[in-house]
Amino acid sequence: MTHQLTIEPLGECIEVEDGQTILDACLRAGIYLPYACGHGLCGTCKVEAREGEVDHGDASPFALMDFERVEGKTLACCARMMSDVTIEADIDEEPDQRRITVRDFAGRVEALEDLTHDVKGVRLGLGGGRIDFQAGQYVNLTLPGVHGTRAFSIANPPSEDGYVDLQIRRVPGGQGTAYIHEVLKPGDAVALSGPYGRFFIRKSRGGPLLFMAGGTGVSSPRSMILDLLAAGYRDPIMLVHGVRTRADLYGEAEFSALAVEHSNFRYIPALSSEPQASGWTGERGFVHDVAARLFDGLFEGWSAYLCGPPPMIEACVNTLMRGRLFEKYIFTERFLTAKDGTEKPKSPLFKKI
Amino acid sequence: MTVKKLGLRQRYEHMTRGLDWETTYQKMDDVFPYDSFEGIKIKDWSAWEDPFRLTMDTYWKFQAEKERKLYAVLDAFAQNNGQTNLSDGRYVNVVKLFLTGISPEEYQAHRGFAFTGRHLRGAGARVAAQMQSLDELRHLQTQVHTISHYNKFFDGISEFPHMHDRVWYLSVPKSFFDDARSAGPFEFMIAIGFAFEYLLTNLLFVPFMSGAAYNGDMSTVTFGFSAQSDESRHMTLGIEVIKFLLEQHPDNLPIVQKWVDKWFWRGHRLLGLVAMMMDYMLPKKVMSWKEAWDIYFVEAGGSLFQDLERYGLKMPKYADIATEEAEHISHQNWAVFYQYTHAAAFHTWMPDKEHLDWLSAKYPNTFDKYYRPRWELWAEMEKEGKRFYNMALPQLCQTCQIPMAYTEPGNPAAICFRATQFQGETYHFCSDGCKDIFDGEPEKYVQAWMPVQQIFQGNCGGATVPDVLAWYNMNAGADNMDYTGSPDEKIWKEWHPDADVARKAV
Repeated sequence: MTHQLTIEPLGECIEVEDGQTILDACLRAGIYLPYACGHGLCGTCKVEAREGEVDHGDASPFALMDFERVEGKTLACCARMMSDVTIEADIDEEPDQRRITVRDFAGRVEALEDLTHDVKGVRLGLGGGRIDFQAGQYVNLTLPGVHGTRAFSIANPPSEDGYVDLQIRRVPGGQGTAYIHEVLKPGDAVALSGPYGRFFIRKSRGGPLLFMAGGTGVSSPRSMILDLLAAGYRDPIMLVHGVRTRADLYGEAEFSALAVEHSNFRYIPALSSEPQASGWTGERGFVHDVAARLFDGLFEGWSAYLCGPPPMIEACVNTLMRGRLFEKYIFTERFLTAKDGTEKPKSPLFKKI
Repeated sequence: MTVKKLGLRQRYEHMTRGLDWETTYQKMDDVFPYDSFEGIKIKDWSAWEDPFRLTMDTYWKFQAEKERKLYAVLDAFAQNNGQTNLSDGRYVNVVKLFLTGISPEEYQAHRGFAFTGRHLRGAGARVAAQMQSLDELRHLQTQVHTISHYNKFFDGISEFPHMHDRVWYLSVPKSFFDDARSAGPFEFMIAIGFAFEYLLTNLLFVPFMSGAAYNGDMSTVTFGFSAQSDESRHMTLGIEVIKFLLEQHPDNLPIVQKWVDKWFWRGHRLLGLVAMMMDYMLPKKVMSWKEAWDIYFVEAGGSLFQDLERYGLKMPKYADIATEEAEHISHQNWAVFYQYTHAAAFHTWMPDKEHLDWLSAKYPNTFDKYYRPRWELWAEMEKEGKRFYNMALPQLCQTCQIPMAYTEPGNPAAICFRATQFQGETYHFCSDGCKDIFDGEPEKYVQAWMPVQQIFQGNCGGATVPDVLAWYNMNAGADNMDYTGSPDEKIWKEWHPDADVARKAV
């Protein structure tokens, strides 16, 4: 039995299992609530339950006062839901976030394209339906014979709402991506739901934008950049797209053309393992190294959007922070595969990076 | 158009807006004279993320309810003679060490945060420091009230404020806080807010509170819960302080690094008292100091410094030495107190066989080789009526003020001595860490009030042990010496006539 939990001021709505704490459910859904001790003693995770009924569990009488219980406060780390609940948590509101209801779609493969030797472009038509989403969000696919759902970022801009374009790299040994690469053919039905995720452009903040993408991590930035340029965004936009070799690079022609068309957009493909003799005259090295070189190590004043596998994100965050760009201006979308376990334990120093 | 309801954060910002106005009758630099000499550069105080977000009226409401709950437990403890349900009479010495060594520092922290709250320019930082200042005062009060119950039955408790300013080993925590309080407001925030309240707090409070829980001291457990609910705000403040300083200006990094190095080492030295308490003074053990150090410093501190590395901040200097010392520090401290039991306001004892075996198991690399033989010899000497007392006054480290009893890194068989010449005088140190701190600010540490030197200079009531103990207000024969034969032991045995039989059977 599950209950619905709505988290204000985000407006996010998630499913919570019976017996699961509110904090656990939020963290698993990628929603950061402030917390510290995790067992009801410190009170850091206090939230207000505005609607619905909760069981306060083992919340210490010193961390959750009687008068607060009367006022509807509860400790997310101990609270279990007795009904559908709406909480208000002490988290920043995002003025640029739109609240879009997640919907289920009966998708159908319209086109398949080999973007590289191991990246497949998949266009899923929505059978006349339209998907409302913010550039940077993702969808969950349900694939026949594959347990669970697989998340993929939407590569097309929100203006093209009759289909979703996905860029899917074949994960060695991965069940879901093997199905897509080997079995999927045009006309196949694929159930999908979306949009999900809180990776979106903080447009109201303005200022120059740096996109750092690794491999198929370029799909979200593609959607975001097309959206920004179409809307006439005037501040500088830079995309550094890192892949291993020339054979792994795709989207080059399109981004190069955009850079010619828009003087505020700069596109930097970077190859980390390209043979020296190959004749490649562009940037060489990892995304973070190339960015550090281009920016002379100083990123102050920019906003950075990072999208790719966890080690790339980690390296980029370190480079940005050394270049004096801090958590408040860094936004990330980590690409985890079904094989990735939980990340190493982190200190409470950072919330989202 | 409907007006949107304000979020929690916006409501708080609305309640506290304008607290940091620009003064016009006086120059801002005259109003805030202490926030620039340390070299810390702040470009934008508004970037401070207030971690407390609590208005004063709510604060009072909270604390009032916490007090009501705590005092209800204390009353129940007193009415049920909770002191008779402790694991053993020896346990009370932990409470004595806490009240004399830790509680006065809560008061020092209260004063330090009051000063800091007055002298920082940013409104968020000032409100946070002010609330923490009040928390610390409350902690002192609740601790004194909790422990006052033990004072009705046990010795060594009643003179704690007097002793704090005079007794040789209490100068260790006192000088730690004196050092922090006589620094500038930013260093105080790193010293107490970050290093003490964040990095090392779990090593201070968890051992005392779990120790209390394991040993039947429900009153101390309750003030622990009451304090821990404030502690979360303090820890968040500590984190915010270091992030804020490092993000504000690149020039702050070397200054903050120096403070982190310094206060980590000072904290490590201070925590040696907790180490000794955990390994030797708890009748029912929670975990060894080494285990606590591995969990709370090596693991938790390790992941913290891994994250701080992103700012360019490095692991504190000598963290590796401190981890090596975790194998030794509790034993070396207990040896000091055993030898000087005649001058300490709590009781000592040699561990019995069961306790020795526990130590051997917890410290397989060091205990049997370096410490067990000494304990067994001293126990043997006790049996022969030749209980060992050290009647010479020890040489003290000029920085941490602890007797020079620690050993060389890499060689637990040799005492570590370091020295520095300054203005024609030689100053002595227990370690490279303490020497570095002195060398960084020699003008400050030459002014330290050194208990042994003060005795020799004739400032402590006289030249003999009884003279000095009288000047300490120590009730000789009751407050000091071994637990065996003490009035504490006598009253415990009256409550538990079978306890002695049980112990001897071991």
